[in-house]
Amino acid sequence: MLIKNSHLLIDTCCLLNLCASGELLNILQVISISVQAAIVEEVKQELQKIENIEHFEIAIKQNLLLIVDFQSDVEETAFINYASEIDDGEAATGAIAINRNWAIATDDKKAAKFLSQESPYLQIVSTPEIIKYWSKIANIESSKLSNVLNEIRVKARYCPDKNHSLKSWWEMAIIPNPLR
Amino acid sequence: MINNILENIDMRQLGKLLQHARKQRGMTQEDAAKLIDASRTTMIAIEKGDRRLKPGELIKLARAYGKSVSDFVRQRPVVEAFDVQFRAMYRRNGDEEEQIKPCIFQLEELCQNYLELEQIMKSPLPRNYPPEYVVGGMPIEATAEAIANQERQRLGLGDSPIGMLRDILEISVGLRIFYLPMPGKYSEIYSYNEKLGGCIGINAFHPEERRRWSLAHGYLHFLAHRYKAIFDFENLKDQYQRMPESEQLAEAFSKYFLMPTSSLLRQFNERCQANQGGKFTTTDLFTLAHYYGVSVIAMTLRLEEMELLPHGKWDNLKSRGLKIRKTQQDLNLEQLPQRSDLNPVHYQYLAIEALDQGLITEGQFAKFLSVNRLEARRIAELLREYSSEMSEEEGNLDLRQNKNDEQEVYAN
Repeated sequence: MLIKNSHLLIDTCCLLNLCASGELLNILQVISISVQAAIVEEVKQELQKIENIEHFEIAIKQNLLLIVDFQSDVEETAFINYASEIDDGEAATGAIAINRNWAIATDDKKAAKFLSQESPYLQIVSTPEIIKYWSKIANIESSKLSNVLNEIRVKARYCPDKNHSLKSWWEMAIIPNPLR
Repeated sequence: MINNILENIDMRQLGKLLQHARKQRGMTQEDAAKLIDASRTTMIAIEKGDRRLKPGELIKLARAYGKSVSDFVRQRPVVEAFDVQFRAMYRRNGDEEEQIKPCIFQLEELCQNYLELEQIMKSPLPRNYPPEYVVGGMPIEATAEAIANQERQRLGLGDSPIGMLRDILEISVGLRIFYLPMPGKYSEIYSYNEKLGGCIGINAFHPEERRRWSLAHGYLHFLAHRYKAIFDFENLKDQYQRMPESEQLAEAFSKYFLMPTSSLLRQFNERCQANQGGKFTTTDLFTLAHYYGVSVIAMTLRLEEMELLPHGKWDNLKSRGLKIRKTQQDLNLEQLPQRSDLNPVHYQYLAIEALDQGLITEGQFAKFLSVNRLEARRIAELLREYSSEMSEEEGNLDLRQNKNDEQEVYAN
């Protein structure tokens, strides 16, 4: 997962998965080596309404997650335009990322398709890519990785779509294998 | 230069939505004007659709109203505001307006969502509506029983107890039925317009037997007073000094629809014959009420009316300290089969299909289900389980095709 941009704007669905992993702070620390992770105000508001979201507030306090809002009429206009097609969190994430040339992290099928049509150069990463990147850089043991993926599966009820390029990696990694 | 959809949006419609949201939030035009550093007259012009909003202004207003910007700018079917239909009722029950209004708003919002999902999925809710029954000047009891029998016949229900009444009215008739959290004294809200058809909100907090009664009651409003919006109390005597004929008819209809004379008579006789000395016991009363999915009081009063039990039996049982819940537990009467979800089953399937086909985002899916995303994911899993593990190809296969055609589809 090579991110060429200065910031990675994480969408609600992806952040929920990272929180469910129980390793949010460690994952963000690893990401922060190459890129600043951030979320938009709309995503923050949505996450704050959900109970027991692990380490989310701490990540904000430690500046591992930056909160960003619109800075120009162009961003606001883009947000309004996108919000006619997708939800506010995804629309704000897309509007800011596209205008500031940042990357985004989302697992949402419609949002990803819509935003790539709006900006073919927008880099979009997903939960499996982030987890795989973290496990590689932080040299995570297979049993721990398996636990993390299971936590995401159980707590956030997420597993990659059958067409996802990392689907088979995920299915292999989620099975505990002491020999790996 | 980026296009601005606010330049092309229907300003009057946007103005109406903003006004509606502001009122729902309990804010004045002056409060709202301050948020965008404007005067009250500017706010009036915005809500009238005479002054175009800037993107930043819309964002500020949406945040202050606790709404999504997408609620104001996405293309949604326009429906007539329910609130207007209830004005006559508010006037009669002025004190009630504040209590019931949020529930009416919620019902309207959910019905509008339903229509939006139908449009997204290009799958309109099939309607099987009978013409409105003409009931003016007719005797109430006879009319109620006749309509109940005709509707049972029309829906192929015979004279057996009706199991999942909600599903029958949703699927076989095409009504939009939502189980809403309401203050305890309200039982049901009924509204109709051409675009949405019949819409019913039932108090989710009531026990299932009461909800079934309220559903039948609301169904009669649809059958016989289709264009008159109504909200009803659980105890109608608290609502009206003199109960209007329309309410009397709805109450009588519920009784005949849920407990048809022919089968009830048969059941009563069978139970008496099974007991020594031809007795009809308290156990029989409770099991019969459970069998028809009605309350014990409704069953007792019905049997009294049919002269199968002596008049005053219910008062007598009450004065002897009959404990309903305790007796039901002692008799091991299981919970009535029920579906207590806020949303109709068809609504939920439209939403999950739209999500899985990438036609709506996960955030939109959660909003359609009125839950947060984690809960939305739990519901999505359940819905996917229920809709079997068919592959997309299988799910879309036209089963009317012959075998050779099918093989071709699979080969593709």
